[in-house]
Amino acid sequence: MAVVAITAAFSLLVGLGFSFAGAWLVLPFAGLEVLAIAYAFYYIHCHAGDYESITIEGDSLTIEKHDYKHDSRTVFNRYWAGVLVRELPCGDHSLYLRSHGKEVEFGRHFMNDDQRLQLAEQLKKRVGVIT
Amino acid sequence: MSYASTAGHDEHHDHPTGILRWLTTTNHKDIGTMYLIFSLIMFMVGGLMILAVRVELFQPGMQLMQPDFYNQLIGVHALVMIFAALMPAATGFANWMLPLQLGAPDMALPRLNNWGFWLLPPAAILLTLPFTLALFGIGDGAIATGWTFYAPLSVQGGIGVDFAIFAVHILGISSVMGSINVIVTIFNMRAPGMTLMKMPMFAWGWLITAFLLIATIPVLAGAVTMLLTDRHFGTHFFNAAGGGDPILFQHLFWFFGHPEVYILLLPVWGFMPQILQTFARKPMYGYKAQVYSFWGIGILSVVVWAHHFFTVGMPVPALIYFMFSTMAISVPLAVLFFCWIATMWRGSMTFETPMLFAVGWIILFGIGGLTGLVLADVAADAQYHHTYFVVAHFHYTLFAGGIMGIMAGVYYWLPKMTGHMYNENLGKLHFWLTAISFNLTFIPQFFLGLAGMPRRIPDYALQFADFNAVSTVAALVLGLSQLLFIYNIVSCARGGKKATDRVWEGSDGLEWTLPSPPPYHSFTEQPVIK
Repeated sequence: MAVVAITAAFSLLVGLGFSFAGAWLVLPFAGLEVLAIAYAFYYIHCHAGDYESITIEGDSLTIEKHDYKHDSRTVFNRYWAGVLVRELPCGDHSLYLRSHGKEVEFGRHFMNDDQRLQLAEQLKKRVGVIT
Repeated sequence: MSYASTAGHDEHHDHPTGILRWLTTTNHKDIGTMYLIFSLIMFMVGGLMILAVRVELFQPGMQLMQPDFYNQLIGVHALVMIFAALMPAATGFANWMLPLQLGAPDMALPRLNNWGFWLLPPAAILLTLPFTLALFGIGDGAIATGWTFYAPLSVQGGIGVDFAIFAVHILGISSVMGSINVIVTIFNMRAPGMTLMKMPMFAWGWLITAFLLIATIPVLAGAVTMLLTDRHFGTHFFNAAGGGDPILFQHLFWFFGHPEVYILLLPVWGFMPQILQTFARKPMYGYKAQVYSFWGIGILSVVVWAHHFFTVGMPVPALIYFMFSTMAISVPLAVLFFCWIATMWRGSMTFETPMLFAVGWIILFGIGGLTGLVLADVAADAQYHHTYFVVAHFHYTLFAGGIMGIMAGVYYWLPKMTGHMYNENLGKLHFWLTAISFNLTFIPQFFLGLAGMPRRIPDYALQFADFNAVSTVAALVLGLSQLLFIYNIVSCARGGKKATDRVWEGSDGLEWTLPSPPPYHSFTEQPVIK
């Protein structure tokens, strides 16, 4: 917050100074830039703590998601859950965990295609009917 | 038994191959590589332009080109070298190395990073396109005002000025995007335990660079926009006949232009102590002193701009203020020089190519700094202003201090980036050819300036012929010797002796803890700094 405030104060001071000298067109550019910096910090502040996690413990498989203010927690029975990989039109894959008619997507935002496929293989060995 | 799998905040959706990988990539290393390749290409483009200029100046009289084309080459050479070669090179290093040095998985805003890079090629095309258009009878060529766009000349210029204005806008947006990304990354994505005062010097250099860009780019954007409205929309910001003030443009331009020098140099000052400590095999001397000096120079750089136009006719109190504030910069700069030399003092030094460039850089950049002190003196500047003394001075700061510094960084980090060692003998040959031919190019220009030869002229008096001939021959050697640089980089990227993870015996820092080359996703688990 202090970084944004100091940067904004300096930029606007410069913009105002040149405006008084007759170069008022500096001010809108300074304003736009300050808005961009403030938004960048706000975005990171909101989303720096985002995560998705899968925890396998005993008979349960827990999927937790945190996206800014939205938290979700889904618990499946580990041995009833299924791992589903769907191919998308672009050639990438999406990863789902499902059980009893409920489906949860995992790794859409935070993993690349290779990582999703790798995780799917690992999960298939640890959930569902394990032979 | 418990198993856990966690995906952290990372913006990479996929890992495409081929051209799509480079167009859509949000990976900091890919983007860093693109910045560095773009910089190298534009370095050659800008270099070819100025070699044509030097050939024209080989002897008095008009040999190869008309004066207007000569002016265009000079102006576009400067814009290309500053905005499309040196700045992207520093940004390329920032993209490659900041996440590695800070222990972060990537830059904080990867998509912004991609946009920041892909704005550069259109801007470069805009800068150089008027040359091509003129061949087809469209317009009268590129901007011919020099890189400073001074009004009223730029108000009267051809379409090349408009192209340059839009190019500068795009480059400015790209720079601001890069700066925001650097600031947000440094403040939010450092490894646990890495306090600001434990950051690598390179991160400090870039943090202050980013703040300077944020502070000054709006002023440049405003200035060139006012120029555009003066040219096409009937305003009179810089037209004295309409109540405007052409000197206002100079204030606006140099409020950006002087900090720009430090924008180009601070990243180099950042990684150079790391190179020195690596090859001196002892810890960096005066870390805190260097950080405070960076801040001192950063702050002073935005309050000294008018020393670039002492001769324009300012009130005496203003002259005195700008003279002493400019000279004050030499104090923190002297602290930096002391620290760099003290880092080497009694070290177990070896002189691999990065170290050769680093030591050469200290000496040559020192000459640039000292000659700057001469120009900071109002009385002396009245004699030297707009002469070849100024040209030689800023090439010692920007070629020796900037580009040779970047070359040191390339040789230092190339094995880490590619996983292969470069050809050491070719590297050393490149250094000696560059250092010697650079001095033979620009020392004569100091003498030309002292003798009174004005800059930005295609013809000159007979008395300046000998020094100009020497300078031109040396410039051609300087240009040709850069082919060794390109060959060494390309052959290193294609193969060669395998580099170890640490690469150098004395290297220290998080980037050396990763394999060479680093994996696509660096630091999937954050390192902890003690």
